[in-house]
Amino acid sequence: MALGENRSKEKKRIALCVNGKKVQADVESRITLAEFLREELRLTGTKVGCNRAECGSCTVILDGEPVYSCSMLAVEAAGTEILTIEGLENKTGLHPLQEAFIEHDALQCGYCTPGMLMALKALLDRNPRPEECDIRDAIDGNFCRCGSYPNIINATLDASKKLLKGNRSNHGDK
Amino acid sequence: MATSKLLVKGFKPPLLDRELTVVGKPLNRRDALEKVTGKAAYSGDIKLPDMLYGKILGCPHPRARIIKIDTRKAEALPGVAAVLTKENTKGWRTYWYKVPQIAFPECITYEGQEVAAVAAEDIPTAQRALDLIDVEYEILTPMLDKEETIASPPWPLIADEEYPGSDVYDRKKYVIKRGDIDKGFEEADVIVEDTYTTQASCHGTIQTRACVTSWDGHNLTVWDAIQGVWNTKETLATSLGLDPDNVRVIVKYLGGGFGSKAWSQRITYYAAKLAMITGRPVRIERSRREEFVNHSRRWDCKMTIKMGAKKDGTLTAIYQTALVNIGAAANEENYYCVQIIWHTSNLHACPNVYLEQVGVYTNLQITGPTRSPLNKPAIFALESHMDKMAVALDMDPLAFRLKNYATDCSISAEFGAYPDAAVSHKETKIPYSSKNLDECMKLATEAIGWKNRSAKRSTRHGTKRRGIGMASYLVFQGIGLMPYAANADVDINHDGTVALRVGVVDIGGGQQTIFSMIAAEELGVSADDVTVVYGDTQGTRYGPSCHASRATPELGPAVLQAAAEARQKLFEIAAPLLKTGVEELRSQNGKIYLASDPSKVMPFREVCNKIDPDHPIRGSGSRAPNPNAPMFSTFGAQAVELEVDTETGLVDILKITAAHDFGKAINPKLCVSQIYGGIGFGIGFALSEEGIYDPRTGKLLSTNLHHYKMPTSLDVPAIHAILTEDEDPYFAYSAKGAGENTNAPTPPAIRNAIYDAIGIWFNDLPITPDKIINALNAKKKKR
Repeated sequence: MALGENRSKEKKRIALCVNGKKVQADVESRITLAEFLREELRLTGTKVGCNRAECGSCTVILDGEPVYSCSMLAVEAAGTEILTIEGLENKTGLHPLQEAFIEHDALQCGYCTPGMLMALKALLDRNPRPEECDIRDAIDGNFCRCGSYPNIINATLDASKKLLKGNRSNHGDK
Repeated sequence: MATSKLLVKGFKPPLLDRELTVVGKPLNRRDALEKVTGKAAYSGDIKLPDMLYGKILGCPHPRARIIKIDTRKAEALPGVAAVLTKENTKGWRTYWYKVPQIAFPECITYEGQEVAAVAAEDIPTAQRALDLIDVEYEILTPMLDKEETIASPPWPLIADEEYPGSDVYDRKKYVIKRGDIDKGFEEADVIVEDTYTTQASCHGTIQTRACVTSWDGHNLTVWDAIQGVWNTKETLATSLGLDPDNVRVIVKYLGGGFGSKAWSQRITYYAAKLAMITGRPVRIERSRREEFVNHSRRWDCKMTIKMGAKKDGTLTAIYQTALVNIGAAANEENYYCVQIIWHTSNLHACPNVYLEQVGVYTNLQITGPTRSPLNKPAIFALESHMDKMAVALDMDPLAFRLKNYATDCSISAEFGAYPDAAVSHKETKIPYSSKNLDECMKLATEAIGWKNRSAKRSTRHGTKRRGIGMASYLVFQGIGLMPYAANADVDINHDGTVALRVGVVDIGGGQQTIFSMIAAEELGVSADDVTVVYGDTQGTRYGPSCHASRATPELGPAVLQAAAEARQKLFEIAAPLLKTGVEELRSQNGKIYLASDPSKVMPFREVCNKIDPDHPIRGSGSRAPNPNAPMFSTFGAQAVELEVDTETGLVDILKITAAHDFGKAINPKLCVSQIYGGIGFGIGFALSEEGIYDPRTGKLLSTNLHHYKMPTSLDVPAIHAILTEDEDPYFAYSAKGAGENTNAPTPPAIRNAIYDAIGIWFNDLPITPDKIINALNAKKKKR
């Protein structure tokens, strides 16, 4: 136990890309990606609701895939590209999903919202024309206890339409 | 709209006498932008310089006595700043709700009760310190089951002298009577009796409890995750022996409440003590497991109903006994001794009732308010029984309910007035301030296609059977009693800015949005022109905790009054400028004008420029207590269409229609969100959520979100929400509360639809697939 404890406090240097910025840090090998984002980088938009891959509020996009950042070590994320809620906005403003979430009231307490948005951003990236059932599947690992699911679904359908329209007129998502 | 009955103290706001321009509009919630960009900082996101991390050691046994506790190894661990146990905290008092309780007791009465608190440089060190604390327990046999407990002689309460509410409610019988119950059954042509059980259930907020405390030697500042800043400030000040003026509580964002954070949370007390001892800020954030184990769940209940009716469907008698497992602690704030029977007595008209509710103390998990606390079990039992009765009478369940429609409310007991039993034979009938339940029932059933019920039933898809069911509810609305003062202030400044000050937390219902809309309407500006100071005891006066759907009905009138008073003061400045009298003036869309000649107009901002910069205008509002009559309630009905898979026992909900009477909606978009949220809660309670305990040790087994099964995106169907809008002169723009109770009719509506599909009554929640399969097999065998 003592040996393991010391090892877990050993720091390792990692380099990764977070929200388009290169980040280098010495991290304890025991800390999760979520802890690293929240405590080291102070990107507290990513929430930790359960810390055991159940609630989905810690969802971030890693190399294009939605992952539970609470269930991955920071050292495992070395060399990857990560997008968190703080990086969803781009220079031209809010992402259409964010706009649609506001317009459709797809949130109440807002605690699940960052994870929900990242899971849905990953969905729209891989499937720009999702049906309702695809949306339900994409967030079945993200709890919204306030029960905004119907509004989340409508917001996503709306955002996907706007994104497709935008892409056609060449003002695409970043 | 008449405001003469508006529930306010003092100044009666004059009628607006114009079209509404803000209230009733589906505006977006004000804090949505911060929430979708990740900028909203919840309590656990706050990190102060030099901050320590706290952890609490909970007792792993539901009933035990501490024999010995040794903290030497924990104290010696590098990075540990403080270790608190019963040995070094003599005389310390925390609280259970408002009731003082020993901070670290010797005798433990429920699992997770606090044994030690640690502050350390980081979370792993704090956790390691907890592991290094040696505690020797004498483990005692816990009392767990409510029926076994009440059938055995009262057990010696092994507890410290201040066991909270140790005999307040234990085994006390509360009764509501009216008419002659025996005569009622004699008059009945049909009598049906059945028993219903509901489970322990949990809030499942996605944010676990978290707080940050900071002590500067004189002032305590707390960033908390609670539903009420003011009740938390008071409780903290009392238990810490501080002047309330030296305690500031801030909640800008809250990651879900549902009643679990209705009052000050104990972790805040321990975090405050650790900060005061170490002189450094302290954050305590609970793990999901800690959150499940040591939080106040919903009571598990057993309810028997016997009902009599004439052939034509007229109810003649309702008899009910209800047994409630209170768990380890209760006092007047967190157990509702007549809540089941009050709802049973008033949802439907019946001249003869005898209803009793008994609560029993056990060592099972602590209990407290959970979205529709005991009315949810009550409505489940009653609305389930109404359907069974309708079948026995060969009547349509909707027609049966409409036949027994209650226009008035019966007040038949002075609740809690007697320590042993609250019994009253005297019935007083009072009207409701507004009631649209009949319309709700008609609209919800119409939208689901109630008339085609039998046709849909016969549509079979392989192993699937389809059914439709409904249920209705009512709920007491707006507490409005002392010390529940509800205050609001509106400031209009020289530069034209407007600040609304409300000591309320926006728990996700959109409270700050709603109050900004009320103030904006009264002032004649847009909602965006109003800055809201909220969720902070600094800069606000006492406001109610945001639970029991209280915020809008209690604070709404105060906000309206405050804004109207500020507007009248501004009109006094505007009147000479427009060469008219104050009573002639109106304001709308940022303009102040003459009612008789709207062309005589001045911009709102320009009038504000005439305000003395040193003396901004202030309008103040305070809500008056509820009068003895009329009764304030909200109502609603829901209908469900579903399929039961007879092979797997799975229930697939296809559609839910929901019609609710909240008075009028300040913001219909936010009201509809409350209906969606309530239905999600109701589906979980009906089909999957259950606190599961080891029957031998009494320890909670469902301590994570895989074992405690809340509805996901795959479980919540399309929902058709309907708001029936009606005048109610007692409230601000006729707005009663919307949030809490939208989940109450969902479980019986689902249960009644399952009967419609497969002809089996399920009386024990949750209705899980194994129960359905077993019942189907038993039915087959009978044949």
